[in-house]
Amino acid sequence: MNTGSNMRIGPFEVFYPIEESAPRLRHNGDPSLPGRLFVVEGIDGSGKSTQLSLLHKWLESKGYGVVFSQWNSSELVKDTTKLGKKKKMLTPATFSLIHATDFADRIERSILPLLKAGAVVLCDRYIYTAFARDVARGMDRQWVRDLYGFAAKPAVAFYFRVPLETAIGRLVTGRDGFKFYEAGLDIGLSDDPTESFRLFQGRIVDEYEKMIPEFGLTVVDATLPVEVQQAQVRQIVRTHLERAKELRVRP
Amino acid sequence: MRQTYGKLLPGMKLSDLAGKLIVVEGTDGAGRSTQINMLRPWLEELGHAVLDTGMTRSLLAGEGIRRAKEGNNLGRVTQSLFYATDFVDRLENEMIPALRAGFIVLTDRYIYSLMARAIVRGMDAGWIRGIYSAALVPDAVFYLRLDVEQLIPRVIFSRGFDYWESGMDVFPGQDMYENFRSYQAALLAEFDRLSVEFNFETLDASADAKLVFAQLQAKVQRILDRDSKKTSFTKVYDQAAAAAGTYGGHPVTLPRETTSKQSDWAFHPVAANLFRENGRNIPEHT
Repeated sequence: MNTGSNMRIGPFEVFYPIEESAPRLRHNGDPSLPGRLFVVEGIDGSGKSTQLSLLHKWLESKGYGVVFSQWNSSELVKDTTKLGKKKKMLTPATFSLIHATDFADRIERSILPLLKAGAVVLCDRYIYTAFARDVARGMDRQWVRDLYGFAAKPAVAFYFRVPLETAIGRLVTGRDGFKFYEAGLDIGLSDDPTESFRLFQGRIVDEYEKMIPEFGLTVVDATLPVEVQQAQVRQIVRTHLERAKELRVRP
Repeated sequence: MRQTYGKLLPGMKLSDLAGKLIVVEGTDGAGRSTQINMLRPWLEELGHAVLDTGMTRSLLAGEGIRRAKEGNNLGRVTQSLFYATDFVDRLENEMIPALRAGFIVLTDRYIYSLMARAIVRGMDAGWIRGIYSAALVPDAVFYLRLDVEQLIPRVIFSRGFDYWESGMDVFPGQDMYENFRSYQAALLAEFDRLSVEFNFETLDASADAKLVFAQLQAKVQRILDRDSKKTSFTKVYDQAAAAAGTYGGHPVTLPRETTSKQSDWAFHPVAANLFRENGRNIPEHT
């Protein structure tokens, strides 16, 4: 059981030993990995994706090897999630588990090996999204935290804080209507999608607020101009990257 | 009342799950499906409604798991969680509704196989137990136990070595045979540990399938009998009423053989109440 397997992830070949997953599960991530992980969190309409994409371009322009990973994007799992959502088959428990499965696939095959290889990894939504949504759906707070015990700990988790009404205002003008699970229609808060969305997102905001001290989330005032927020984000990221050695340079 | 291993899922109610949950566990090739295929018609003949279920049969994740296993890129944490998704989908949408409707649920493997597989793949034992803490405690776990040596001929002379059953994703062995041995031995060791922790009833699966089936029948019958004694309140009430000679104000004609046993009911709380309500003397216990 001592040998592992060589994994090829993009340009990097990573030695991925077999016996490490157990302690990793227990210790919630390994801070000694040479790469750096930055994640953005916040409700829909908080502007976090815009901020992450600006950060991404800036890091690339500085020559860092950057990889981006999106919530709910595993090739292996996303068809199942799609089926569950389309057929409205997901309960709070299976909603939680299928998203954890998706996340596990990205962690195992991409995020962890990349961090071992010294890449800068950017995640649009991370475990805190699951904690907020699953608990808002009635899952046990500790159960969900334990479920994600295998996750790597990010260097910085940015929380883009925005008043609910501002976020909803941005969304209502930006698109037509809310999807079933997005609006939390599965838990029956209200029959009206917009009202249900409002109530559900309110619960999610409550959970995020509790997580700020619990996980040391870095709060960004998402009502400030985009440029101001981005300057703050870059400054924080810069200090973390300056301290990091062994980071990959973009080929 | 039925219990879980610690946690309740949202909306999960345990109060009216009248059916029976019977688990058949064992390593690959131990004959689980053979036994279930015999148990089901037997139980149906006795008049019980039966639901049988097993790994990767969920509407939600069954197909996804099958597809993921065809490739070479299913990681160990992902695999453990994909199976957990499949399990919970069947728990919530099949097993619990069936138990509520009074079915006997026969399940080919349960959380124990899933935990053993995950632990052998290096997952933290506490982590995987935590995930399955919302599983229902079954009425019985029948563990069909087979040594690796006994298992090998069954596998090579039936379907041959399978990539996953040989733990090819975990063990860096020379070939399928070597890997099959190491992987199945590790699973077996884990099963043996779980069998103590979770009170398995172990059956020697190397015996003739008919013999194993006869043992299973006897054990399942005991569960059903235990149930009829424990919960069949109405039956007790009817008999008590018959002994008291009245039921809801209406006289009850006693069959001859029960008359002589009136006194047996004297100390039964239901019967005693009936006697009192109807102003009759409680017969002396003889």
